[in-house]
Amino acid sequence: MILINLISLFLLYYLKKSAGPQGFPTHLNRYFKYGMIAAATLIVLGILHVPPAILFQLASFALVGAIIYFILHTPELEYQRTLAITPLPIVGVQLLDYLVRTLSPGFHDVIENYFDAAGVFALIWAVTMWLNHRKQMKEVEIERIISKEQERQLRSTAEQKSQLEILVAERTSEILSQKEELQHALDHLRSTQEQLIQQEKLASLGQLTAGIAHEIKNPLNFVNNFSELSVDFLDEISEEMPRIPDSPEKENILDLLENVKSNLVKIRHHGSRADGIVRSMLMHSRGGTGTMEPSDLNALIREYANLAFHGMRANPNPINVDIQLDLDETLPKIKLNSEDFSRVILNLLKNAFDAMRDKIEAQGSEYKAKVIIRTKDLGNRVLVEVEDNGPGVPDEIKDKLLMPFFTTKKGTEGTGLGLSITHDIIKSHEGSLEIQSEADTFTLFKILLPKTIS
Amino acid sequence: MKILFVDDEHDVEALFRQKFRKEIKSGVLELAFAFSGKGALELLAAENPPKFVYVFSDINMPGMSGLDLLNQIKARFPEIQVSMISAYGDHENYDRAMNSGAKGFFTKPVDFERLKLEIASLADKN
Repeated sequence: MILINLISLFLLYYLKKSAGPQGFPTHLNRYFKYGMIAAATLIVLGILHVPPAILFQLASFALVGAIIYFILHTPELEYQRTLAITPLPIVGVQLLDYLVRTLSPGFHDVIENYFDAAGVFALIWAVTMWLNHRKQMKEVEIERIISKEQERQLRSTAEQKSQLEILVAERTSEILSQKEELQHALDHLRSTQEQLIQQEKLASLGQLTAGIAHEIKNPLNFVNNFSELSVDFLDEISEEMPRIPDSPEKENILDLLENVKSNLVKIRHHGSRADGIVRSMLMHSRGGTGTMEPSDLNALIREYANLAFHGMRANPNPINVDIQLDLDETLPKIKLNSEDFSRVILNLLKNAFDAMRDKIEAQGSEYKAKVIIRTKDLGNRVLVEVEDNGPGVPDEIKDKLLMPFFTTKKGTEGTGLGLSITHDIIKSHEGSLEIQSEADTFTLFKILLPKTIS
Repeated sequence: MKILFVDDEHDVEALFRQKFRKEIKSGVLELAFAFSGKGALELLAAENPPKFVYVFSDINMPGMSGLDLLNQIKARFPEIQVSMISAYGDHENYDRAMNSGAKGFFTKPVDFERLKLEIASLADKN
């Protein structure tokens, strides 16, 4: 009877061991454990001969039967089916032997030899089946290993694939961003090239104007000098005149000389106008003659704002302007070409005065002309603002404002060089000029200068 | 007092003669004109020692430039004062002229008041 229980124990132990790396579901493991405990208990009871023997003998057969039934009917154990039939003949012979011995001991003695022989055959069968089962198990194991390996390879391939996909996506986005950068750089290059071409054109235009200006300046000097001289001579003549006795002819001569003098004054006037234009053109192409020196910008602004105001008051059509200075007194000395930079202040103020004069003429005395000049320390840069409350700059001409020879002034008043020169001077200080304006409200010129110039 | 003006523009002569009309008339000044550096040197060399005390020269002239003329005059007639009159009032010309021994530097258009003062100061010394 112990043999039956040993078979139970062995079957359960073997099943538990055959679980493989992924193991059985927990409820199966629990069955194995309880089964093994039951088998061990039955073995101990069998050895101790604790009555009633018949109960545990039947229990032993029930247990092994249950285990075989369990193996055959559990899906997870399907591959162990041959294991279930391995001990079946032994169990059958033992059961029959037991039944016969219990029910008819006499008959048992008669056929005991047959039982022994059946036992031997059952054992041979069990061993054969066992070996067969082992072989099957090994094949299953090999297959399992192969399929596991394949699965592993499949998984790693999938992993590599997804990694590659991530890499490809990364590279693609890199390439796209590089493409964008390149496109940007190309656009920048194109616009720079256009600017260069424009500057080249302007530079050659500048050289041309400088040449022309010089060629004009010499004869113009003669025109101015001789007309001035002639006016002086006419003054001398009129000093001599009283000594000549009066006569109708003298009257006529004096009259004519007066005309000649007024003509000469006109020649001188227009000559000096032309001289101003030529001078601006030369200044434009050549730049100033001063040097960069640490200067007090506020003092320069005070001096030239004053000069611009009085200059305007002394000229024809003076206007009343309120000039306000809002200067940052903490401003350090900055490197300036004072001679050039004073022209910036003069030009911007002159433009403001001219624009506001137009507004006064259009709107009358209701309008109070006002200019504010501000300076501000911005750390490594200095801000200079010149703001007027004049008619403003229309958007459509804002771009053209800094172009040479562009002017909004009527007739002969402007050369169209003032702002262009102003811009050049600011650029030569490595600064920038920005124009903000609102029609009929204000115009603001914003100059940013670096404190240190390379 | 003899003064020489050097300029390739011929009308300079008429202009200066008229400007200094009174001084010429009264005999304070005697003006001479040359229209090239070469002509100026010939005039200066015509008398030995030359009677000129002052030379005013243009810088941009065909042939010998005013600065070359300045150097030659300073080398051959060191006692004669030389000032430059130029339309190009830039640093380079100014520095070169002053380093070569020019007494003054006038830019065109000429400020005649300044020129007259310069000549008057010379006349006082004489």
